[in-house]
Amino acid sequence: MDGKAAKDTSLIERWLEDQREWQKTAMAYLDSMVKNDDFLVHLGNAMRGSLLAGKPYPTATAPAAPPAQEAPADDRLDRVLFALHEMQGQLNDLRLTLDELRTSGKGSPSTMPATRPASVKRRASLAKAKPTSAKATVAKARTAARSDKRRKARG
Amino acid sequence: MSTSEDEQERELEALLELSRRGRAKVERLHEVLTTPGHFGTGATPCQVVYRENKLRLLRLLDDTGQPRAGRPAVLFVPAPVSRYFIVDLLPGRSFAGHVAAAGFDVFVIDFGTPTSEDRYADLPYYVDGLVRRSVRMVSTITGQPAINVVGYCLGGTLSLLYAALYPETVARLVLLTTMVDGDVQGGIAWVAHRMGLQGESYENPRLVPAAEVKSWFEMLAPGSNSLVGRLSDLWERLDDPAARLRDVRTMATWVDDVVPAPGRLLAELYRQFGPGRNGLMKGTSTVGNRVVELAAVRMPVLSVSAEKDAIAPPQGVDAIVQVIPHAEVLRLPGGHVGIVAGRTAASLWQRTVEFLSTPRG
Repeated sequence: MDGKAAKDTSLIERWLEDQREWQKTAMAYLDSMVKNDDFLVHLGNAMRGSLLAGKPYPTATAPAAPPAQEAPADDRLDRVLFALHEMQGQLNDLRLTLDELRTSGKGSPSTMPATRPASVKRRASLAKAKPTSAKATVAKARTAARSDKRRKARG
Repeated sequence: MSTSEDEQERELEALLELSRRGRAKVERLHEVLTTPGHFGTGATPCQVVYRENKLRLLRLLDDTGQPRAGRPAVLFVPAPVSRYFIVDLLPGRSFAGHVAAAGFDVFVIDFGTPTSEDRYADLPYYVDGLVRRSVRMVSTITGQPAINVVGYCLGGTLSLLYAALYPETVARLVLLTTMVDGDVQGGIAWVAHRMGLQGESYENPRLVPAAEVKSWFEMLAPGSNSLVGRLSDLWERLDDPAARLRDVRTMATWVDDVVPAPGRLLAELYRQFGPGRNGLMKGTSTVGNRVVELAAVRMPVLSVSAEKDAIAPPQGVDAIVQVIPHAEVLRLPGGHVGIVAGRTAASLWQRTVEFLSTPRG
C-alpha cells in the first residue's frame, strides 16, 4: 500500500512538474513577444508551417482571382519612375565609358558599347525624357575628334 | 493493484511522456525563432560595388576583409524571381564562398525586390541593362576584358542570352538548371502556363504578387500548398537538433521568400520561351531588336541539370547540346535547389571550380 502511494505521488509530482515547465515555456514565449517585435511575425509564420524569417509568409491570392488583374488606371507615375531607372542605367554606362576613356587616355571605344534597344527608346520617349542627349554628345565629340586626327595625319 | 489501475497508470505515463515531448518541441521552436542566423542574408563577407534600381552587385571578401584582387573574376547571376543568397547560403555551405576560396574574385548579383514601377522591366532591361552593366562593372574593377559567368535557373537564361549578345566579354559560362527546350513538359514554365502566365499582358503589365509566383512553385511540390501538410512537416522536424533546424530555417527563408515578378518580363519569357514558342531551340529569340544567335556562344560552356528537378526538368536543360554542341552537359543526382545548396552540393561546386580553372585550349 505504501509503495503504491509513493508511486502515485511520484506520478502526480511529475505531472505538476510538467505543468510548471509548460508555464515556464509559455512565459518564455510571452516574454519574447513583448521584447521582440519580429517574434510575432516569426511565430505567425511558424503557425503557417514555415520557418521563414524577417517577413510575413506570403499570403495566398483568392482562388477566384483573375490571372491578370487590370493595371492601375493612372500608371503614369510608375512609367516615369521606371524611365528614370533606365536613365540611371544609361548614365552609369556613360560614366563607365568616360572612366575608360580617361584611363586609356587614347579615346579607345569601350569593349562593351552601351546599346539602346528600340523598345527602351520608345518607353523613354513616352516618359518625355531625353536620355540619349548626353550619350549623343559624347559620340559626336568622339567622331569629330577622330576625323580631326585623320585630317591632321593627312595634312 | 488491479489491472484497470495499471492500465490507467500506463495511460497517464504515456500522456505525461507525450506532454514532455510536445513541450520539448515547443521549446526548440522558441530557441530557433529567437536565435540569430543567416536568414535572408548571404554568409560570406562582401562589399557592394555597384547599385542600380534595386540591384546590388556584391563582391566577396576574404578572411581579412579584402577583395581577392588579381584573381580570375566570376559573376554569379541568380534568378530574379527569388533571393540571391541561395548561392551564398551558410558558412561552409556557400557555392559562391567555395568558388572564392578556390582562388577566384567572386561577384554576386542581388536583383533585390521589385516594386510597382518595375512591372515594366522586360528582357532587354535585364539582359542589356542590369546583367550587361554588372559584367561591365566587374570588368572595370578587375581589369579583365572577359570574365566567368555562372547563371542559376532563370539567371542562367539571362546569362545565356547575354553571352550570345556579348560573347567577347564572357570567358566561360556555367548554366545551372537552365531550361533551354521549353517544349519539354513539366517544370515551372508549364505550371505557370496552366495557372495563367499566358494571361500576363506585355503592354499593360502588373507586378505579379509573390504569393502567386510562390503558388506556381507549390504546385510542383505536392503538400507544400496545404496548411495542414506544412504544419505537420514542421511539427515532425521539431525533433531535430536546434542547429539543424537553423539550417532548415535558412533554407525556408529562401524557399518561402519568393519576390514579386515584373509582369512584362514574365509575359516576354512566356512569349519567347514558353511551351509551344521555344525560341531558344528554334533560334527565334530576341532581346529588344536584336536576334539572339546562340552560334555566337563559342566560349566553353558547362550546363548542369538535376535528376529530380521538378522546376527545370533535366531533359529540357540537357537539350542545350542541340543548339550549343560544344557545351559540356552534367547531370547530378538531386533536385533544383539541392544540387546548388543542399548537403550533396559540394560535387557541383568542385566541378564548377575545375571547369573555371581549366586553361582554354
